[in-house]
Amino acid sequence: MLRRFGLSAALACAVAALGGAGPALAQETTVRMWTFLNPTGTSPREVALAKIIDNFEAANPDIDIVVEPQAWDQMTPKFLAAHTSGTAPDVIWVVTDFLGDAINSGSLASLNDLFVKDWSEDQVADRAGPYWDLTNVDGTQHALFTSRNYIAIMYRKDLFAEAGIDPATITTWDKLVEVAKKLTVKDSAGQVSRYGFVQGFSENQADPPLMIPYLVGKGAELFSEDGKANFASPEGVDGLTLQTDLITRHGVMPESAVSWTVDDVYEQFASDRAAMILGASVRVSTLQSQLGKDKVGLMLWPGSGQQEHSPAVMAGWAVGVWSKSQVAEQAGEFVEYMLGPDGDKAWVEIGGQSPGLGSTLDHLGDFANQPGNEYLRVVSTGSAKHGWLAPIEYSIGGYRQILNKAAQNVVVNGADPKQALEEAGAEFNRSHNR
Amino acid sequence: MYSRHAGLTYIVPAFALLGLVLFSPVFYGFWFSLFRIQYGAPTDFIGLGNFLRLLDDPALGGTLTRSTVFTFFAVALTVAIALALAVWIHKLGERRGFAVQMIVIVPWIISTVVATLLFRWVFVNDIGLALSLARWAGFGDIRLLNDPTSAMALLIGVSVWKRIGYAVIILLAGLKSIPEDLEEAARIDGATGWQVFRRITLPLLKTPLLLVTIVLTLSNLNTVETPLVLTGGGPGNATRILPMEIFDRAFVAYDLGSATALALVMFIGNILLVLAYVRLAKWKT
Repeated sequence: MLRRFGLSAALACAVAALGGAGPALAQETTVRMWTFLNPTGTSPREVALAKIIDNFEAANPDIDIVVEPQAWDQMTPKFLAAHTSGTAPDVIWVVTDFLGDAINSGSLASLNDLFVKDWSEDQVADRAGPYWDLTNVDGTQHALFTSRNYIAIMYRKDLFAEAGIDPATITTWDKLVEVAKKLTVKDSAGQVSRYGFVQGFSENQADPPLMIPYLVGKGAELFSEDGKANFASPEGVDGLTLQTDLITRHGVMPESAVSWTVDDVYEQFASDRAAMILGASVRVSTLQSQLGKDKVGLMLWPGSGQQEHSPAVMAGWAVGVWSKSQVAEQAGEFVEYMLGPDGDKAWVEIGGQSPGLGSTLDHLGDFANQPGNEYLRVVSTGSAKHGWLAPIEYSIGGYRQILNKAAQNVVVNGADPKQALEEAGAEFNRSHNR
Repeated sequence: MYSRHAGLTYIVPAFALLGLVLFSPVFYGFWFSLFRIQYGAPTDFIGLGNFLRLLDDPALGGTLTRSTVFTFFAVALTVAIALALAVWIHKLGERRGFAVQMIVIVPWIISTVVATLLFRWVFVNDIGLALSLARWAGFGDIRLLNDPTSAMALLIGVSVWKRIGYAVIILLAGLKSIPEDLEEAARIDGATGWQVFRRITLPLLKTPLLLVTIVLTLSNLNTVETPLVLTGGGPGNATRILPMEIFDRAFVAYDLGSATALALVMFIGNILLVLAYVRLAKWKT
């Protein structure tokens, strides 16, 4: 009995002593974040994220940022399921296709309440633009964009120079085909050793296909106002015909592209097998690190006759704080830092990303004008003037995959483009119960 | 002192754990499927509405047919090749037999995603080994993933290659358990090698064969990684099978209602297969 009392007393003293130590032993708060980037990785974006986390933790020793890397194409649906089950991470990166679902489900906390309310008008103005508007619903800011993705034409500068072609001359879709033909090369055995233009049509890891800039550039809509598919419009049919003709008629894209994923296309590009690809701006830095800064460039889509350049699909990652997070305040602090002036500078300088803040490029001086960094200006101009963002009023998950399937049906099964798009539209509507 | 309920108290914790881990998700899934699902959360009660939506999908019949074809050929080929390999390995000496076993088992212990990616790199792109070999052999450009039939054949091939190690190990264990004197007696009576195999070995392998068949059927019927990584379901819908359909409904279109309903239908199909196995095993003994 006496022994037990002695033990309790000692324990009580120890607790009291620890309590007295106060702030020196303050409990560390863990903030969980889901992203597709792994801070232990070596790609430029991963290195940038690691640097940002290190800097934040150094300035905030009581906050520990724990990254749980996820597969990029499944991360947002998993987050929405985790939101329902109450196990979501504190900070989440939401892909554009599911942004509407994330906002409408109430899974994203109001950033106004966390930190935007304290911002000056200049700070808000620094972020003005379509990405800010997309994440602002009825005055409430639900997320901030990072890894802004401008999906346009990635090209090999060295191959263009070798062929004596100026990318600026690709002003129409016909000229794109013409240049792609010039850049398609055959070896002595008659086998194509390099294709002029390539995109992947696999349903696994699908980027928005070429037909979208084509049809949007012609003034058509991909979805009707009620969220139903409007794929089979005359402009949509022309766009699908153009992209499948690149394989079947012009021979500037391999037939294998019907089973290629996004990563397959980048591998072909990196191994000198493609001169132009449908590419995402966020990948430029990675490819430059593989091939050399002087070899990889990004250009805007050709004009449509109505517009100087057809709008590129803009995507990216909307970073928000989970609405049920127990550490929302600390999570908000991290999001504000990660996407604030210091974080944005790291994303641009180290990660090779286009800036999220208008002021970042100004603060970086002539960084964007240095050889190899011109693509940052291309993305900046494109995002401001020639971009298309998927609607968030209704769920559109799966539209890229279904459009790719339509292209597969045309190339492999010889389906009529209009019929293939009508079937794709019906499948999209059915899967969304519309 | 012996209690009549002592045995019960020993097994209750295990059954409770099994119920929690195995059956609670099924009951939750069934309850979930009875509601309209919006943003991942149940809203209005719609009874069997999600199940009825499955019947309205004209593409689902084709998906079911492809799943049946894929599972049938993958299982039949795996069992046939594994049986031949097991018999061969059984006849090899101890060292050589062990070495061959190790080689055969490697695909089974590799992660499915990694194994499938290996096949993709060989067959999928223009610089893949398969196309180079085909050109070298004078077959021209063969692109297996571009043709609906060859893409399905390749999917079956990958599945056979991946799972054959498991089948060989089980069948080899079965072969080793057959008393040698039975086969020896048959040979003394003048039976040929084929007769010994057909009349003695095969009947005594019935249980491991049944086990392998059922496990492989369930495994192939529920595989999602292989088609997802190898073909993405294409070209068109040529390699879209039921597990991939569930995956796409849940994680691409984010239609959790019909995805759950379809998953439950598949679960019932799996239960029926297990019951068939139990019944057949009982018949054997």
